Amino acid sequence: MAVVTNTKKTSATNLWTMIFAVFAVLGAVCWVLQLTRGLQMTNLDTNNMWGLYIVGFMIFTGIAAGSLLFSAVPYLFKLEEFKPYTRIASYLGAVASIVAASLFIIVDIGNPERVWLFITSGNWTSPMFWDFIMLSSYMVISIIFTRKLILLNEGKIEEKGVKGIAVVAFVAGILVTVTSFVFSFQVARPLWSTPAQPLSFLIAALVAALAVLMILSHILNKSGYVKMPIGLLAKMGKLTALLLCIELIIVITEILIGLYPGSGEDYAAFIWLVTGKGAVGFWLMMVALVTAIVLLAKQGTLPKVGLLLGGAIIALIAIYLIKSNLLQAQLFNPLITLPGTPVYGETTGPYVPSLLEIGLSLGIVSLGALLLNLGFGKLNLGTTANTRKL
Amino acid sequence: MRYAMAIDLDRCTGCHACSVACKVENNLPDGIFWNRILTAGGKSMDTPSGTFPNLSMQFLPVNCQHCENPACVKACPVKATYKREEDGIVIQNYDKCIGCRYCMVACPYASVRQFNWKKPEYAIDVAMGDAAITPHQYNTVEKCTFCTHRLAQGLKPACIDTCPNRARIFGDIDDPNSEVSQAIQGRSYFHLLEEKGTKPSIFYLT
Repeated sequence: MAVVTNTKKTSATNLWTMIFAVFAVLGAVCWVLQLTRGLQMTNLDTNNMWGLYIVGFMIFTGIAAGSLLFSAVPYLFKLEEFKPYTRIASYLGAVASIVAASLFIIVDIGNPERVWLFITSGNWTSPMFWDFIMLSSYMVISIIFTRKLILLNEGKIEEKGVKGIAVVAFVAGILVTVTSFVFSFQVARPLWSTPAQPLSFLIAALVAALAVLMILSHILNKSGYVKMPIGLLAKMGKLTALLLCIELIIVITEILIGLYPGSGEDYAAFIWLVTGKGAVGFWLMMVALVTAIVLLAKQGTLPKVGLLLGGAIIALIAIYLIKSNLLQAQLFNPLITLPGTPVYGETTGPYVPSLLEIGLSLGIVSLGALLLNLGFGKLNLGTTANTRKL
Repeated sequence: MRYAMAIDLDRCTGCHACSVACKVENNLPDGIFWNRILTAGGKSMDTPSGTFPNLSMQFLPVNCQHCENPACVKACPVKATYKREEDGIVIQNYDKCIGCRYCMVACPYASVRQFNWKKPEYAIDVAMGDAAITPHQYNTVEKCTFCTHRLAQGLKPACIDTCPNRARIFGDIDDPNSEVSQAIQGRSYFHLLEEKGTKPSIFYLT
């Protein structure tokens, strides 16, 4: 990824560009298959109508929002040591994450050729329409922010020149809670209708962004593009661990509150999740959460990059599982469960994405990485002399 | 004016005639039923609960509830689903549906909204039902229309005319003299998931 050094710059960048491009093409092929044969190519159905694509949307919207916050906070709260890395975070939010999040929605909908209706026939009462507005504004804010940060680095503007956009980016980042409204505003889905969801989405956004930034920083450190001290990486790790602890508390309290009555809508969904068909996903999530917290928090006096990286990767897996479990536990346990006239795919779970869904999702992530890699090559985002503007 | 339907659960024998009539009238693709007969009894359709001879079984026909406060209409990001001002029927516009399935997520009445996961296929080669129905599109959501095409011809929905036990009654609930208003008068009834605040237009008579 983004090996932009003086010596091996071109060949390595080209190699990664090619790898990402191949996966992006694979994703495009999967999409064509899905468009021509219908969403029956996925493992989604009448009960479980949302799956991997929506989880991908949630995670990448989170990364975008978290990146905005990571970029804005050092300028608003005077955290000098993080300022050099805000350009990378802002660009990550500006391009890779937002493009990926938007594409996850595009491939999820059955008729992407009608997406322009969001503009000509948008419904102001729909939280999904709010998400559309939010993602569009993220794109604009991030691009302006990235541009300003580059100009600041080049000494063409003063630091006070980025304060305004930093405030906007900070507020926009906090508003990632709007993403949770898509779920928590639905009376049909009591499991999602809790005040904890907006908080959980905000935490997930920060965790996802911090984890990706930690992984990116390590890769870019190795390539010489940036020079982030291990101490900073460790601080990011500890913050991620703290946030994951809060997420763990939310998960456990929701489970306990749901299970305690011993019957009812929430109980049915949570028992499905904890001891029923969703149990594998649930317990994997718990293990991932605890492991990530331990790896990221327990660093000792000499933090180890390997442990931090491992913790960051597992933290991303935990966030994926939290979102996936949230969807499945509710969708497989609707309010009316009486048996009746059979319709297409009334499965009871668990949901495992089809190969086509996985291929398409890999393609989207690769396209995001491709844009990221190209950006590192073309823009002046790094912190060292090896950073080159091509 | 607001169209409503009363379903007399004491009269329903679970014969599925209304379900089949709906499927034929609207030429529904394979795997899609707008009007389903649920069984409140055993673990599968048409089975009782309990142990012989102490068995019990109750049928619950469920189609779109054409809510006065429809969760699906609020959720649809592009106004593909909307409530008709003139009669309160909740309509799904296939030509505008982007296929995001958010309305299915938002609807509390599981499976009354269904998605064409594949190009519509039919059990027989010739189209059935009324020629006035809107052709089905794949990658879109569809549901009960209260047979708007029949209402336009002065007829009642197909499920109403087909029910052999006259368990279904249809009409304008705002008109106290309508059949449906008369049917619910003096009877106890409930709405499905009334506590969700969607104000359904289906009255289940008990």
